[in-house]
Amino acid sequence: MQIGKLSLHTTKAAQRTTANQNAQANKLSTNPFGVSFKGNVIQADVFESAKKSSTNIAERGKLFASAVVSGINNFNESFKSRMNAIVSFGKQVTKNVFDTVERIGNTEITFDMTGLKNKLFPDREYSVKNLANKSVDELKTMWSDLTPSVA
Amino acid sequence: MDNNKKIRNIIQALGEHKDSQAAIDLLTELGTNSPDDEIRELTAQTLIRKNTHESLRVVLISKGKGINDLSARVAMASINELLSLKDKSEAIKILDDTIKMHSEEDVRNTARSVRALMTFSS
Repeated sequence: MQIGKLSLHTTKAAQRTTANQNAQANKLSTNPFGVSFKGNVIQADVFESAKKSSTNIAERGKLFASAVVSGINNFNESFKSRMNAIVSFGKQVTKNVFDTVERIGNTEITFDMTGLKNKLFPDREYSVKNLANKSVDELKTMWSDLTPSVA
Repeated sequence: MDNNKKIRNIIQALGEHKDSQAAIDLLTELGTNSPDDEIRELTAQTLIRKNTHESLRVVLISKGKGINDLSARVAMASINELLSLKDKSEAIKILDDTIKMHSEEDVRNTARSVRALMTFSS
């Protein structure tokens, strides 16, 4: 039992000493991780892989920026071409409207009401009611016109 | 509307026309002499429906017209129209005169047959 207590004491004392050293080292160190090896705090970033990764990030950043710029350029070009198409379509529509208005202005509109009525209601002229109000001579002429002449 | 339909409407209008004598004359001139059986049939029916002495004479005593038409369809339609008249007195009178006095044997025989039919139907 005695031996067990002593060994526990010794271990706790050793832990306390290591903690003090680490606290001292943390004050001086710039390493945010505070990594220590056998009680010695690493003062600088000595990992090769870390340096490499930082370089890669920068390169990736450039690549990303370049991609963004080219994307913007592509967008500008497509936007311009679309805008040109829209503008030309608008111009064509405006031209057509003006042409139509001009044509309407130059067109003389006359209404042949009798002809229009006959065209709209072709059967009305030959309705029994309408025919009964005509003279027999008129009916004779109409009938003769409808009968094919025998040669 | 085709020409036949227009002519049918003209015939119908002539049947209702106020100027009855002029309408009968036109029906006799153009309708009964039409080469189209349908037009002749409709003309004969219209003339019979008028039920006047002048209109009935055309379809009862004229050779080749009305009941004497060479087309059985026209002749039968004319007889049916005569049988459906409400007042048959004028038609019977003309038929009797035709049986007695007409110069053509065929016309007399036809008139006799139709007269018999009218007697049985009334």
